[in-house]
Amino acid sequence: MKTNTLSTDVELAKTDPRIKLITAKIKKENYKPDALIEILHTAQNAYGYLPMSVLKFITKALHLPPSRVYSTVTFYHFFSLKSKGEHTCLVCTGTACYVKGAQLILNEIEKQFALKPGQVTADNKLGVSVARCIGACGLAPAVVLDEEVHAKVSAEEIVNSINAKIAV
Amino acid sequence: MPKISVTIDDKKLDVDVGKTILEICKESGIEILTMCHLKGLTDVGACRLCLVEIEGINKLLSACTTKIAANMIIRTKTEKIKRYQRITSELFFAERNHVCSVCVANGKCDLQKLGYKTEMDHIRYPYLFPECNVDTSHPWYVLDHNRCIMCTRCVRACGEVEGAHNWNVMNRGYQVRVISDFDTPWGESVTCTSCGKCVHACPTGAIWPKAIVQGQLEKKPEIIAELIEKRKMNL
Ligand code: SF4
Ligand code: FES
Ligand code: FES
Repeated sequence: MKTNTLSTDVELAKTDPRIKLITAKIKKENYKPDALIEILHTAQNAYGYLPMSVLKFITKALHLPPSRVYSTVTFYHFFSLKSKGEHTCLVCTGTACYVKGAQLILNEIEKQFALKPGQVTADNKLGVSVARCIGACGLAPAVVLDEEVHAKVSAEEIVNSINAKIAV
Repeated sequence: MPKISVTIDDKKLDVDVGKTILEICKESGIEILTMCHLKGLTDVGACRLCLVEIEGINKLLSACTTKIAANMIIRTKTEKIKRYQRITSELFFAERNHVCSVCVANGKCDLQKLGYKTEMDHIRYPYLFPECNVDTSHPWYVLDHNRCIMCTRCVRACGEVEGAHNWNVMNRGYQVRVISDFDTPWGESVTCTSCGKCVHACPTGAIWPKAIVQGQLEKKPEIIAELIEKRKMNL
């Protein structure tokens, strides 16, 4: 039997703070299906790639046929369906996080792993990206390591967490 | 309707404005080779078979997407056009894995007919032999990517006539493939209504109903246009 695969993933996505960024963009674009590409850009910037759960979320929000969204995503080389790096580290560089030391975190990551935002380690273990405000300003500085939000972190703490991740 | 005069293959004709060159040729009994055109669907100019020469324009234009204009002098069967049609036909065959002898559409296939029409006796290009899926997940129908020529008639029939938008095209260049939903197996699509319009719209043996054997395929692509007409009558 056919099950509506769209709805379950939407529930899943609600627990992810980065979804807020996408929702904000969708609202700003007035839920216009024409704004698909702009919204996909926002999503790709937040995640470093486009996870299927996020694609389903956007498809549902814009009331678009899934095949149209998939067609668009696979047409442009800018979009990627695969995670760049086994582990992803998204450092928020929005105003609140910036004030609370996001740059120090990025500097430390660059020093420890030789990675600038947008880059992946040679062994594909770790990818680092940045986003402007992930909607968790009260937790600044915020870093999303894989699916977990790390709140009020110091550069040292996040480097330790990353090391723990990539060790396994 | 106002009339304009044009010349097609040295014949002077008075024709309606607003129509495409292809429509005019069909009405006047002038044969044009087509593959992606299907009456009732929006023309997209994908296959490049219906190319015609128009005096004063130094590139070939597709008859299905070019509107007729007053005083056009059009040629549909020059040596250049024939050469291009033959090349196009060869490229279709070289691009995927077409094996007529084991195909359900054998003898009834538009691609096969095209091969005969363009007098294609061999293929001068290296075969790509791409690895292609055969999607048998739908309870009634099969999609065999080996036989698809990317005409997108299924995509348009599904979106424009059925309104289901199950089909679309993913990737680009030689990696393009017809997909349902998120490249989901057809049988797991949430949008497919199993209406079967794509089966009839498909000019090759790429989409076919399961309950048939080699060479037994009967397709009725004309049902698309008929359906649209009937819907108009009911309004
Ligand atoms: S499956 Fe058939 S109708 Fe659809 S694009 Fe391929 S050849 Fe055309
Ligand atoms: S600035 Fe980082 S969460 Fe808002
Ligand atoms: S029929 Fe005109 S380009 Fe295919």
